[in-house]
Amino acid sequence: MKKLKKYLVVWGLMIRNVLSANLNKKVGFLIFFIGKMLRFVLAGLFVFYTLQGTKSLAGYDTDQVIFFYLTYMLIDALGQVFFRNVYSFRQIVVTGSFDLILSKPVNTLFRVLLGGMDIIDMGTTIFFLGTVVWWGARLSPNSAGIILYSLLIFNSLIIIAAFHILVVALGIITLEIDHTIMIYRDIESMGRFPIDIYKEPIKSIFTFIIPIGIMLTVPAKALMGLATAQVIVVSFIVSGVLLFLSIKFWGFALKRYTSASS
Amino acid sequence: MWSERFLVVKKNPSMKLQKYLMILKISFLQEFAYRFNFVMWRVRNVIQVFIAFYFWDTLFADPGKVIFGYDRAKILTYVFAILFIRSIVLSARAVDIAGQISNGELSNLLLKPVNFFKYWFARDLSSKALNVVFAFIETFLLYLLLRPPIFLQTTLINLIGAIVFVLLAILLFYFLLFITNMVAFWMPENGWAAQFLIIGIVTEFFSGGVFPLNIFPEGAQVVFGYLPFQYLLYFPVQVYLGNVAGAEITRGFVVVVGWIVALYFLTTKIWLRGLKNYASEGR
Repeated sequence: MKKLKKYLVVWGLMIRNVLSANLNKKVGFLIFFIGKMLRFVLAGLFVFYTLQGTKSLAGYDTDQVIFFYLTYMLIDALGQVFFRNVYSFRQIVVTGSFDLILSKPVNTLFRVLLGGMDIIDMGTTIFFLGTVVWWGARLSPNSAGIILYSLLIFNSLIIIAAFHILVVALGIITLEIDHTIMIYRDIESMGRFPIDIYKEPIKSIFTFIIPIGIMLTVPAKALMGLATAQVIVVSFIVSGVLLFLSIKFWGFALKRYTSASS
Repeated sequence: MWSERFLVVKKNPSMKLQKYLMILKISFLQEFAYRFNFVMWRVRNVIQVFIAFYFWDTLFADPGKVIFGYDRAKILTYVFAILFIRSIVLSARAVDIAGQISNGELSNLLLKPVNFFKYWFARDLSSKALNVVFAFIETFLLYLLLRPPIFLQTTLINLIGAIVFVLLAILLFYFLLFITNMVAFWMPENGWAAQFLIIGIVTEFFSGGVFPLNIFPEGAQVVFGYLPFQYLLYFPVQVYLGNVAGAEITRGFVVVVGWIVALYFLTTKIWLRGLKNYASEGR
């Protein structure tokens, strides 16, 4: 309990530092915010007009497909809010600053993963949460669906954390982060549409091996009452296994860190 | 003087050309400094094609289906053509200009006997050369792996037209990127933010890089026709696919040349103003 309190205090301090650093960049903040909202609108138009052309996707109607898209935006923004520090990790390693993090009496992975929040995405997350609640209400979900949706969103955050751990671990070994994280973002973008629209074996690969489907499609399906109990249980197991494997890989990578840049 | 327009040492033309060829060569070799980084950049491009391929392949599973004026062969050709043209048009080293302005590194370059515009154009060409080689190999391997039905254009005018529009797109993107980077003269902290908005979002979507612009209503497509972005990727591919006819090609040519001329003058004007504002901070 004492340890948890310590980490909450450290996390609070890190957030405060990020906030104070970003408050000096109001114009940049505004440009990024406009960019992110524009991307949301344009990708949304793509989803909408694709549906106009195809009428329905894998049996889902327009309301349902838009809800899948909004869930994707919410989960993507949540990942940015919590794990934005990963994007600057390469610089930390190549400049030797990683040594300073290693020498601090705080868990290194905690510091690397949660060391820098994206405050722009704090704003967009609130916006996307609002749109998810508003649009989700059109689907008339029951209480069980809403609870499962919330739990599965949390489960998605665990999967995102695992992916980010894999990226930083690979970064230690190869000094490559920028493209690896963008590959993750590209693959994640497949979840704008429900994974069910893809043919086999793509559907299974992106459900169980690279669990984008579990991360982005299953929560929305649970809200709609379309996810089976078996799929929900498997979703929690997959996230647990992925997190375990990513932490193991992080340990493996850390042992190979040579501190060559410092 | 910072405000000198061209910092070129007067030498004979072949010496000048040699100088920029050397810059091109050095820049080409620099791309291999972080090999894994480059490999991952190409892996990313391949994954983007996989994602786009499987998405459109699913939507067009029925071979007789026609959506937005595309049949299965044409939409999959669009995906592959975008991969190839993107590597020629959008790969550029000039993305580093904003960083050079904000950290004062620009001063080093201004003192050298090179023309700043030609220097970056040479570096851009080296990046394009390297990327196009890899894109060619990747396109070929992906074709063998995925075996998509590809639309082969046999009309000479469309083939020549597509090549001409790609060459124009290279110039167009160069000026667009240059202008975007020069934001750093006035907002050194926000050079990256400007690139994110103009290049990462606006150019990416409105060039047709994410999806074909035909999916939008006709009114929106008319507006896109007067903006520069669709001439970077979408229009050259449409010319190749034969989706635009003679008059439309001529109109497109006039619009894109008009944009290149306008952006050229805008670039030089902003550059001169930017240099007056430049204080070489960080040096």
